[in-house]
Amino acid sequence: MPLIKGLNKIMIIGSGPIVIGQACEFDYSGVQACKALMQLGLEVVLVNSNPATIMTDPETATKVYIEPLKLDYVKKILEKERPSALISTLGGQTALNLSVELEKTGVLSKLGIKLLGADLKVIQSVEDREQFVQLLSKLGARCAPNAMVRNFKQGLKEIEKIGFPVILRPNYTLGGAGGGVAYSREDFKIKLAFALTESPSSEVLIEKNLLGWKEFELEIMRDKKGACVVVCSIENVDPCGVHTGDSITVAPQITLSDQAYQEMREEALKIIEEVGLETGGANIQFAVHPQTGERMVIEVNPRVSRSSALASKATGFPIAKISALLAVGFTLDEIQNDITGKTLSCYEPALDYIVTKIPRFDFEKYPGSEGVLSTQMQSVGEVMAIGRTFKESFQKALVSLEKSEVKAGHSFDEKKLTYPNSDRIYYIFEAFRRGYTVEALSHLTGIDSWFLEQFEDIIKMEKKLLQSAKPWSANLIHQAKRFGFSDKKLSDLLNVKEKDIYKFRKKTGLFPSFYKVDTCAGEFESQTPYYYSTYWGQRGEGQKKPKKKTALLIGSGPNRIGQGIEFDYSCVRGVGELKKQGYEVALINSNPETVSTDYDTADQLFFEPVSLEHTREVLNFVSPYRVIVQLGGQTPIELAGALHSESYKIAGSSVKSIDLAEDRGRFVRVCSRLGFKTPRSALAENLEKALQAVQTIGFPLIVRPSYVLGGRRMEVIQNKEELKHYFTKYSQFFSKARPCLIDQYLESFLEVDVDMVRGQDWAVMGGILEHIEATGVHSGDSMAVLPPQRLKKEVGGKIERLSLALAEELKILGFLNLQLAIREDEIYMLEANPRSSRSVPFISKATGLPLVDLAIKAMMGQRKKELAGQLKSWRSLNNVSVKGVVFPFKKIKKTDSILGPEMKSIGEVMGRGEDYPTALTKALVSSDFHFPEKGEIFLSLRDKDKMFLLSHIQDLMKAGYTFSATEGTANFLKKHDIPCVYVKKVLQGRPHCVDRITSGRVVLVFNTTSKNSSIQSSFSIRRSCIDYNIPCLTEAHAIQAFIVALIEKKKNEWTVTAL
Amino acid sequence: MTAPLQGNYGADLKFWQSEKIWIKAFICLELQNSQRDQQWLKTLTEHKVPILSGVDTRKLALRLRRKGVIWGLVAPLSQQISVRQIITKEQEKPKDWTKFVSVSEPKEFKGKKRAGLRIVLIDFGFKKNILEELLKRSSSVCLFPSNSSFKLIQDWKPSAVVLSNGPGDPKEVREGTKLVKKLLGFRPIFGICMGHQILSQALGGETYKLKFGHRGSNHPIQDKLLNRIYISAQNHGYAVDPKTLPKEILVSHVNLNDHTVAGIFSKKRKCLSVQFHPENKPGPTEATALFDYFIKNLVKRGR
Repeated sequence: MPLIKGLNKIMIIGSGPIVIGQACEFDYSGVQACKALMQLGLEVVLVNSNPATIMTDPETATKVYIEPLKLDYVKKILEKERPSALISTLGGQTALNLSVELEKTGVLSKLGIKLLGADLKVIQSVEDREQFVQLLSKLGARCAPNAMVRNFKQGLKEIEKIGFPVILRPNYTLGGAGGGVAYSREDFKIKLAFALTESPSSEVLIEKNLLGWKEFELEIMRDKKGACVVVCSIENVDPCGVHTGDSITVAPQITLSDQAYQEMREEALKIIEEVGLETGGANIQFAVHPQTGERMVIEVNPRVSRSSALASKATGFPIAKISALLAVGFTLDEIQNDITGKTLSCYEPALDYIVTKIPRFDFEKYPGSEGVLSTQMQSVGEVMAIGRTFKESFQKALVSLEKSEVKAGHSFDEKKLTYPNSDRIYYIFEAFRRGYTVEALSHLTGIDSWFLEQFEDIIKMEKKLLQSAKPWSANLIHQAKRFGFSDKKLSDLLNVKEKDIYKFRKKTGLFPSFYKVDTCAGEFESQTPYYYSTYWGQRGEGQKKPKKKTALLIGSGPNRIGQGIEFDYSCVRGVGELKKQGYEVALINSNPETVSTDYDTADQLFFEPVSLEHTREVLNFVSPYRVIVQLGGQTPIELAGALHSESYKIAGSSVKSIDLAEDRGRFVRVCSRLGFKTPRSALAENLEKALQAVQTIGFPLIVRPSYVLGGRRMEVIQNKEELKHYFTKYSQFFSKARPCLIDQYLESFLEVDVDMVRGQDWAVMGGILEHIEATGVHSGDSMAVLPPQRLKKEVGGKIERLSLALAEELKILGFLNLQLAIREDEIYMLEANPRSSRSVPFISKATGLPLVDLAIKAMMGQRKKELAGQLKSWRSLNNVSVKGVVFPFKKIKKTDSILGPEMKSIGEVMGRGEDYPTALTKALVSSDFHFPEKGEIFLSLRDKDKMFLLSHIQDLMKAGYTFSATEGTANFLKKHDIPCVYVKKVLQGRPHCVDRITSGRVVLVFNTTSKNSSIQSSFSIRRSCIDYNIPCLTEAHAIQAFIVALIEKKKNEWTVTAL
Repeated sequence: MTAPLQGNYGADLKFWQSEKIWIKAFICLELQNSQRDQQWLKTLTEHKVPILSGVDTRKLALRLRRKGVIWGLVAPLSQQISVRQIITKEQEKPKDWTKFVSVSEPKEFKGKKRAGLRIVLIDFGFKKNILEELLKRSSSVCLFPSNSSFKLIQDWKPSAVVLSNGPGDPKEVREGTKLVKKLLGFRPIFGICMGHQILSQALGGETYKLKFGHRGSNHPIQDKLLNRIYISAQNHGYAVDPKTLPKEILVSHVNLNDHTVAGIFSKKRKCLSVQFHPENKPGPTEATALFDYFIKNLVKRGR
C-alpha cells in the first residue's frame, strides 16, 4: 500500500555545516531523499544552514530554506509552511536531535505534523544508554560492562566495579564528542569532568573498553511490514578503540565464518525489532572477541549515517532513497532495484569485489595535535576504493588518499605500532620490511592476522620488485598491478619514471578491465554503468557506445581542509548542466561521502582514485569528447597539464592559461600591466639572503618553503628575530634549488574573493565577497559578506573592470577565482585560480546566478547570442548573505584556535537577512556560537586593536556586560572609563587569566595577538576556551562583527525566507 | 565462487553439513594460502578436489548468466584429453543423482524431546542441519534411503515425513517421487529443496530447468504462511511450474527476484515444502520458523 494517505508536503532537515563526524554524506542522503520524494509528486521543504551543499540548491526541493538549524528558526519555518510530515532520519545527529526537540516542545503536535522515520521512543531507546542496555539484556544480547554516571562522585564509585581501561561516552553528543578512553584513575578523573560538561543531559556512560576486539557494522533496512534486509556488512581493520569513522574498514566482512556472521545478523534483526524502528535504515556496531568469538553490541543508530553512505556506494543499494520511500509508506517489495531494473529492493546485495575505506587526516594543519586516534572522530574526509582482492582494493585506496606515502624508514619506532595513529599503516609496512612477523605485529597492533598477512604479501611483492632488474618480467608487473601497486609506486621501486611503467604496460598490453558494481555479483544484468577498474579481469564489461558525445568530469577526491564539499557542489551542478546540453557525462571520483559518486548523478560513474594513472585509464575506456578539469578543485587542475600533453582534450581554459595563472613571475607581470598591484616578493635560500630581501620588502612578511602543499610551515614574520628563528627551525627545507618564498605581508587590508565566468565573447561577474576579517586570515577561515559592506562602490567597479580584463588577458574559458587585498583604492592581487572555487556555491546561492551552469556553457563553447537573458548582474540583490565558518578545534586536541595564513576550518554556513546585522547574527547562530546574554568578558588585545574596538566595548558596557583584562588592556579600558578587573597573564603567576576562564566566571573572550612569541604565550587562553565551550574571538574585525550580532540578537527580530 | 576471497576463516569441521565434499572441482579467484592458515586448501586437497584459482570468476558468472548452465571440466593442460569424451561419459551416467548420495541403510537418531514426534527424514542428500533442526523438535528421527519401500517407513510408525534436499534433476528421481506419492495422505510431509520438487511431482506438478539457477544466501522470499518477507539461502537449478500444480495446492512462497515458486502448501493434502533452505547453515536464519509451522499446523493439529 504505497504512500501514506494525507501526505502532500514533507519537511527534511539537513545536517548543517560540515563538522568532523557529520560531513557531506548527509548531503548525499538528503539529496537522494529529496529526489525520490519529488518524483512521487510530493512537495519537499528543506532546511539546512550549509550553502556548500547540493541539497540547498533551489532545484533540489520545492522550497529551500538556508536558515539556522535551531528550534526557533525551524519552528518558524514549520509555522509558515505547514508540512504534513517531517522526516527525522536523513540529516544525521543534528536533524535527529532537532526533531526530538520539536516533538518534545510540542511544536509538531500543535501544528499537526507527523514525525516519520524514527520517533521519539526509538531515538531514546538507543541513545539513552541505560534504556538501551536493558533492551539488550531482554534479548539476551550483551554489551560491555558499563554504568551511567550523572555526577563526578558516582563516576569514581562505578569505576571501581568496572575496572580500566574504560571508554567515556557522553549522552547525546555528536561523533563521540567529549568522549575518550581512560587508562588510569588520574586520567579518568580529568576525562570524566570534561565528559560530564559535554553531555547536554550531564550523563556519561562509562563502559569497559573492548580494546583489541574486532569491530563490525551491519547496515539494515526495515519496512513497516517488518521485512528486514542487511544491506552491507563492514569489518574494521583497526580493532575496537578507534572511532569507526577513523578506522580503515572493508566490505563485505572478511574474517567471520558464515555461522558467526549469521548469528550476528540474527541478533541485529532482533534488536531493530525490539527498538521499534518502524521504517528506514539503521546501523549496528558489534565487537567480537578475536579468540573466543564472544560478541558485544557497541551501538545502534536508527538513522542514515556515514556508514550507510559508504554501504550505499559499496553495494549500489541507495539506502537514503529507500529510507525516504519507506518513511512515506512504501514497502521493500514495492520498490524496484534501480541497478538491475528487474529485481526488487527487498534483497541483500552480493559483492564480487572488495571495498576499502580509508579515512583522511589533516593533522599537519593543526600544530600541536598528536595524531593519536581514539573514540572521538578526527578524520576530515575519506576515500573508498574497489578491487577484486583486498590487496588491490587497499592499495587503490591508499592512492586515492592523494597524500604522499609516509616514509617510516628513518623514523621507525616500534611504539608507533602499539597505539592507533594516522600513519600506523605505513609503520606496519616498514615493520614487515624490517622482518617483523605477522605474529609479532598481531601482538603489537591487535589487528587480525588475516589483514596483516595481506600487508605482508604487499611487502613481499615490493621486495621482489626491488630485486628485479630490466628487462622486467611482464608476469611480475602484472602480479604487482593485481596487488594494486600504482604506476607511481612501481616507478619508485624500479627506479624509473612513472611514464616508463605506462610505456611498459602499453607495450605488453597490460591494462585494467572495467567491471560493474551491480548489487548481485553478476546474477542479473545491470542497467547502471557504475564501474571500477581491476587487473584481475580477463576482459572488461564493454559498454554500448553512447549515441551522444561524452564529457568526462574529474571529481575532487577526498574531503580535506581547503578542498571539500564546495567542489562536489560544482561537479554535481556541472553534471546536470552537461546533461542538459546533450552530453553523456562520465565522472571519476574516490569520495564515498559525496553526491557526485551517487550512481544516479552522472551517466557513467567511475569509482577510482583521482590520479593521473587511473584517470588516463578511464579516459581510454570512455574516449570522451572533452575532459572537464575546472570543477573539482586543485586535484584535477594538477592533472590538466599531463592529460593535455597526452592529447586528451581539456574543456575551456587551455593548459597554457592555467599555467600562466600559476606561474608567479609571468603572472605578476600581467597583473601589473593591467593595473593590479602585487605584494613585493623575493626568494631566499638562507637567512643572509632573506635579510637582504627584507630591506626592499619590509616587515611584516609571510614566508614559506617552495614546493610544499597546503601552506605548510607558512608563517607571518614581524621582525628580524622571528625571521632568524624561522630559518633556524626549518633550515633543512631551504636550498638554492628550493628557496624560501618571501612575500610582503599585507596586514590589515580588506580582503575580497571574486568569482567570475568568461566565455568566448561574454563574461559574467559572479560577485565580490567581502571578508569580515582583515588580510592574514586564510580566505577559507574568514567570515564574509555579500554584497560588500565596506568596499567603496567605485573600488568595487574597478575590481570588476580589472578582473574582466585579467580573464580576457589569460584567455579564460570558464571559471576564474581571484583573491584580492584592498587598501583605499589600491587593489593587490593575492591569488588567481583558473577553476571553480570554495566560494562558488555561496555566491551562487547568495546572488541566484547559476555560475556552474554558465561555466559549463563557457567551457563547451557557447556564444553570447545563445545566452540571451542569462547574463544577469550580481548586484540586483534585495538581501544580505553572510558566510560563517566552523572549526574542528574541539575534536583535535591540543591545537591552537588562532587564525592565520593556514586554513583550519572544515565547514561553512550562510546567514540570510534583510540587512547585515540580521544576516550576521544568523550566520553566527548557525556556526554554533553561543551568545551570552550577560556576564564577564575577558579581553587581551594587542595595541592596534584597542582604539579600533573601543566604541564597541562601550556598547557592550551599556548592554550590561562586565569586563576583565590583562594589564595593558585593563589600563586602556580604565583610561576610557570602562570598569574592568585586572587579571594576571599566565606567565605572571597564579591566579591568572586561564584560572579565571576555567573557573567559569568568564562568558566570552576577545584575544588578539600577532607576534609569534605572544601567540605562544596566549595559547592556553584560547585552548581553555575550546575545552570549556567559551566563545573566543581572535581577530579585531571578527570581534567587531560579533558585538554587532550580540546586540542584534537581543532584539530578537528576524524572519525566515526560502531561496 | 563469485566471492573473490575464499578460505578466509579456515574450514572448521563443526560447520560441515555432509560426510564428504561432493563437488568435482573448486574454482575461485583468490584462495587463502598463508603460513598461518591453509585449512580450506588442505581440506580440498585431502578430498582430492581439484582447485583452479586466479580465475576471473565474474567473467565466468556472466557467461553462465547469458548462456545458461553448461558442462565444464577442470583438467591439467599437460594431459592429452578429449574434453568432449569425458563430458559425454559423464552425461551417460545414471541421472538420478540422489542415489549416489543417499544413505544405504536406515539410521535412527535420538531426539531432544523425551516423548515427542517420530520423524522420518528421507535422504536425497541431506544437509546435517535439517537433521539437527528436526532432533530439536522430536524424540526420534530416522534417516531412510531414498529408495526405501513405503512399508519400511510405515513400519517405523512415524508421526511426520520430511524430504531432504539433494542434487540433480528432480525429473530423474522417479523412485523417490513414487515413494512420496504413497506417503501423501499417510503422514504430513515437509519437503526442502529437492524434497520440495519431488513432493510437487508427487502431487502431479512438473519441474523445469532454470537458466542458471538460484545460488547464494540473499534470495528474498515472500512467505504467505508466516505473512512475512525474508531472506533465504538457496541452491538449486530447477523449479516447479505453478501451472501444473493441482488447484488445491497453494503457492505459499514466492521468490521475489524472479517470482518463481519457492514453496507450496496444502492443508487438505497435509503437505508443505519450500525450495530454499529453512535449516540455514549457511545462510540467514529467519525461515527456521517453518519447522515449527509445519509441526504446529500439519502434524499436531491434524492428529
